[in-house]
Amino acid sequence: MKTQEFIESGILEAHLLGLTDKEEQEKVREMVSADPALEEYTVVLEAGINTYFERESVNPPEAVREVVRLRSTRAKKEKHEFTNEHTSRQYLDVEVNDTHMKVHKFWRPAFIAVFVLSKIFLIAGLYYYFKSVSQQEELQRLKAQQIEQVK
Amino acid sequence: MNELERISNASGPQPVLKQDRNLSSVEVYDQYGAMAYGIILQIIPQPHLAQEVLVSVFSSPLLQSCNSYPFSYAACIIKLARAKAVEAKRKLTALTPLEEDNLRPAGTPTPQIIFDLAFRQGFTPEEVAGKLNISKSEVLRSFHDFFKPNGNA
Repeated sequence: MKTQEFIESGILEAHLLGLTDKEEQEKVREMVSADPALEEYTVVLEAGINTYFERESVNPPEAVREVVRLRSTRAKKEKHEFTNEHTSRQYLDVEVNDTHMKVHKFWRPAFIAVFVLSKIFLIAGLYYYFKSVSQQEELQRLKAQQIEQVK
Repeated sequence: MNELERISNASGPQPVLKQDRNLSSVEVYDQYGAMAYGIILQIIPQPHLAQEVLVSVFSSPLLQSCNSYPFSYAACIIKLARAKAVEAKRKLTALTPLEEDNLRPAGTPTPQIIFDLAFRQGFTPEEVAGKLNISKSEVLRSFHDFFKPNGNA
């Protein structure tokens, strides 16, 4: 496409207004970078479009500037804080909401052994307790028998 | 591809038309705030809504991409302001749809009408061509007619 044809096609205007698709943008890029005359025309056209929109400009209320300034400051601050945190900290803050205590797995057989031994001692203790109780009763009974025989 | 993607997509011409400058949001606002507000008001005539859109333009992360935009900062602001305003208008019209007939002008479409439909009403050149029963190339050509030195603009 020749320079003049390309200029008159209106694709440059559409591109500067954000009305072109990707393929057309690619085309404009190629044409403008390849043709100095087209580049020169684009500068003039851009100035013309800017002038048109400057004519249509309306001063916004002063409060809007303040809102923009505050948002810009906040965004910068957040970005700065994020960057600082990123570089200075080596650990992640993880909040653990678990009330359980954890020990090494080697403790498991020790706990099992303690549990089993405690049961053995408990059974043995009960066995000897009831045995001593029955022996004492037997002793009392024999004593009582002997006393009766003596009488 | 939506309007905002078109801006963030840096597939335009090589950076030969602009000097590299990194401006802050407030500096850009001081320089182009009035122009952007004028553009937004053309698309959304409600001042309160237009002011909200204006704030969103100058606090948008896309504003930073204007620092590396191949053309002038003003051209980038024009695109960004329009894109944000059209997006807000679409959300608004999704709630209260416009009558299709109101958007179709009677008689021969002038470059002014075509520009209004594409830039202010937010239609793509293909949609404008479909509405006016003309070709897309005629739509694009009318942009040239609209902005040429002795045109309407």
